[in-house]
Amino acid sequence: RSRSKSKRMSGFDMAPPAALLPNTGAVVTGQLPGTTPTLPGMF
Amino acid sequence: CSRLHTKPSISPTLLLSNMYQRPDMITPGVDAQGQPIDPKKMQEHFEDFYEDLFEELNKYGEIESLNICDNLADHMVGNVYVQFREEEHADNALKNLTGRFYAGRPIIVDFSPVTDFREATCR
Repeated sequence: RSRSKSKRMSGFDMAPPAALLPNTGAVVTGQLPGTTPTLPGMF
Repeated sequence: CSRLHTKPSISPTLLLSNMYQRPDMITPGVDAQGQPIDPKKMQEHFEDFYEDLFEELNKYGEIESLNICDNLADHMVGNVYVQFREEEHADNALKNLTGRFYAGRPIIVDFSPVTDFREATCR
């Protein structure tokens, strides 16, 4: 596809909206409370 | 399949659970606002995701294989499997990705026992 446009921002390190974070100290593990995946990936 | 899979303590392959989200994940062919999505836009969305992943993962070692599940069924939905040449590279990537976010969602990363994707079927 066209490469003429400037590089898009990577989605990496795009934090969730601040409103969704109870406090920043609580997310050191990167896991929001209660967001354990219901579907651990599998083959 | 019982879905109770063993997670190895070391492996050249990582699983990033449910990481890819299709723009039409709610209703096939339609975006969250109910507008039809051009298949070309869908492809571009997927390729952008693939590119983001490849560029990031490539920092941690030599990538042997990068597989993204682009399905809509709930089984394995959006799972990303990345196989590095060396276990240490996968370990390095795991350490570097844990606790980070992608597009506003936490990255859930574990080692995966898969080393040959042709043989990777659930029994």
